[in-house]
Amino acid sequence: MFQNRAEALALALPAVVFAALVFLVPVCILLSEGFRMEGAWSLGAYWDFFANPLNQTVFWRTLKLGAMVTAVSAVIGYATAYAIVTLPPTARGRMIGLVVMPLMISPVARTYAWIVILGRTGFVNKIIVGLGLSDTPVRFLFTETAVFIGLLQLFLPLMILSLISALENMPRDAVPAARVLGANWFQVFVKVILPLTKEGLVIGGTLVFTGSLTAYITPAILGGSKVLMLETLLYQRVTVANDFASASIIAMILIVMSFSANLLLKRLATARNRR
Amino acid sequence: MLRKTLAAGIALGALTAPALAADNTLVISVYGFAQDEFKELVYDPFEKICGCELVVETGNSVERLAKLEARKDDPEIDMAVMSTHDALAAARKGITQSIDVSKLSNYDKLYDIAKDPLGDHLGIGYTFYATSIAYRADKVKIESWADLFQDDLKGRVAFPNVTTNQGPPALYMLGKALGDDAPSLSAPITEVGKNKDDIVTFYVRSSQVAQLMQQEEILAAPIGRFAWGAYPKMGLDMAWATPKEGQTGGMNVMILTKGAKHEDLAYQFMDYWLSTEIQTKLAEALVDSPANAEVTVSDEVAANLTYGEETVKNLHLLPPAVILDNREAWLAEWNEKVGQ
Repeated sequence: MFQNRAEALALALPAVVFAALVFLVPVCILLSEGFRMEGAWSLGAYWDFFANPLNQTVFWRTLKLGAMVTAVSAVIGYATAYAIVTLPPTARGRMIGLVVMPLMISPVARTYAWIVILGRTGFVNKIIVGLGLSDTPVRFLFTETAVFIGLLQLFLPLMILSLISALENMPRDAVPAARVLGANWFQVFVKVILPLTKEGLVIGGTLVFTGSLTAYITPAILGGSKVLMLETLLYQRVTVANDFASASIIAMILIVMSFSANLLLKRLATARNRR
Repeated sequence: MLRKTLAAGIALGALTAPALAADNTLVISVYGFAQDEFKELVYDPFEKICGCELVVETGNSVERLAKLEARKDDPEIDMAVMSTHDALAAARKGITQSIDVSKLSNYDKLYDIAKDPLGDHLGIGYTFYATSIAYRADKVKIESWADLFQDDLKGRVAFPNVTTNQGPPALYMLGKALGDDAPSLSAPITEVGKNKDDIVTFYVRSSQVAQLMQQEEILAAPIGRFAWGAYPKMGLDMAWATPKEGQTGGMNVMILTKGAKHEDLAYQFMDYWLSTEIQTKLAEALVDSPANAEVTVSDEVAANLTYGEETVKNLHLLPPAVILDNREAWLAEWNEKVGQ
C-alpha cells in the first residue's frame, strides 16, 4: 500500500511510542519487582511463592478450572455452533443474537444472578429438593462448582462465536461428502470438522482459557475467599498486604500461563495438520 | 524582545496561577463510603465557612497509606482519616505529626477513648463502631461468641476473613469465649480452622453478608454495627447479639500529615468535623456513630448506631499496636490452619 516502508513505519510510530510508554514500560517495571530480593536480582521471590502451600493450591486450582472451563466450553461450543450454522440465514442471525446477548450484560449482574439461582432457596435447589434428590438444599455457593458454572456461562459465548465463524468457512460439502463415503459422526468430527476448524478452536480456546485465568468478579463473588484463584489472590496481596512483589509474581504467572496455553493449542493444531 | 517578555510573562502567570489557587485548597483523604452524605453535610458547608476549596480523595486504607508514603517528602494530602492501626502504621513510617489539640475547640467534648488512642496525639478518634453477631432470632439463640459454632449453625454461618477490619476483633472475642484471648489469636484461629467446612464463607465485604442473610443462605455472622441499618428492613426476625463476653469493634481516627501545606485549614476542618453540630448530623444520617459525647439523638437513631457512654466504655477494642504487630503472624497462621 505504501511506496516505502519508512513511510508506513513513521505512521505507526506515534501508536508504538504511546503503547510503549503507557503500557510496556510500566508493565516491565511492575513485573521486574518480582525478580528483586533485598535490592539484588534473584529468583528467590518465585521460589518462596511456590514453596507456600496456599499459593500451590491456588495455582493448581486456577489451572484446573481454566482447563475444565475451556474443555467443556469446546464440547458444548462445537455442538451449539454446528447446530447454528446449519440453520437458514434468518434463524441463524437470531440465534447468534441470543449467543451474543449475555456479553451485553455486565458480568457483575450475571454473576449475582447465579447467587440467587444457586442459593439454598434458589431455583436449582428447589428442583433438587422437589425431585427428592436430596432432603436438604445442596450447598453450591462458595464452592469450586459455583465458580466453574459462573466462568463457563461467562466465556462460552466467545467459544461459540469463534467456532461459528470457523464452521462457516468450512466447505459446505465436506460433511455430506464424508457421510456419503461411510464415515460415522465421530469420524466426521475428528477427521473432517476438527482439522478444518482448528483455527477457530485455537482462538476460542485461548480466549476462554485466558479469560478464566484472569476473571476477577466471578471467582470473587461465587468463590469468595474459600475458593481463591490467582486473580483474587493477587487482589488480596495488593489491597490487604500492600505486597506488590507477590502481586507482580502472580501477574507474571498469569501472563506465562496465557501465552503457554496459546502456544500449546497452536502446536496441537499444527501437529494434527502434519499427520 | 517584546515577544520574549510576553512569553515569559505568560509562562510565569501559568505557573503561579495554580499555586495561588492551591494556597487556599485543603486536600483530604477519606473512606469512599457515604460520600454523597459527607458532601452535603460536611464538605459543602465547610467550603462556605472557610472560603476555601476542598479536594477529597477516596479509597481503602491500604491504598491511601501507600499513596501517603509515596509522597512522604512532598505531601499533597493535608489530613486523612483511617483505622487506628493504619494510622499507627502511618505514624511509625513518619508520615504523620502530632496534633496540637489546643487548636481544636471541640476536643474536650470527645469520649475519653477517642481523645488519644495512638499516644502523642498522633490521631484523634472521630467515630467508632461495635462489632457483634447479627442472627436470626427465630432460628437460633446466640449468647456467646462460641455459639457461632453450635450444631444449628453448621453450614449456615459466615465469618469475617482475617484480612478484614472485622476479622481480628471477632477472633479476639471468640478467643475470650474459649478462655484464651492471647494476642496471638492462636486458639480462635485453630477453632475456626476446625469448623471451616461448616462456615459458608469468609466474607470480605459487609454488604455480602446482608445479601446472604436476606437469601437465608446464612443465619448468623459477626458484623460491624455500621452495616446493621439494612438488617431490620429485611422482613426477617433479625437480632443483634449481646454476647456474655461483650462486644468488640473498631475506631477511625483523623491524622495530620507531616509537612502538611495547609495545616491551619486542616485544623479548622478537623474541629468542624468534631463539632457537636456536624457529629449530630452525621449520626442522624446514620453515617457515623458520634465520638463527641455531647451529641444527643433519638432512640430510633441510637438503635442503629454505636451510641452512648456505657456502650462505648464496654467495647473490647484490640489495641492498634497489637493489630499492627501481629497482623502478618495472624495471616500466616490463618493460611496454615484455615487455608483456602
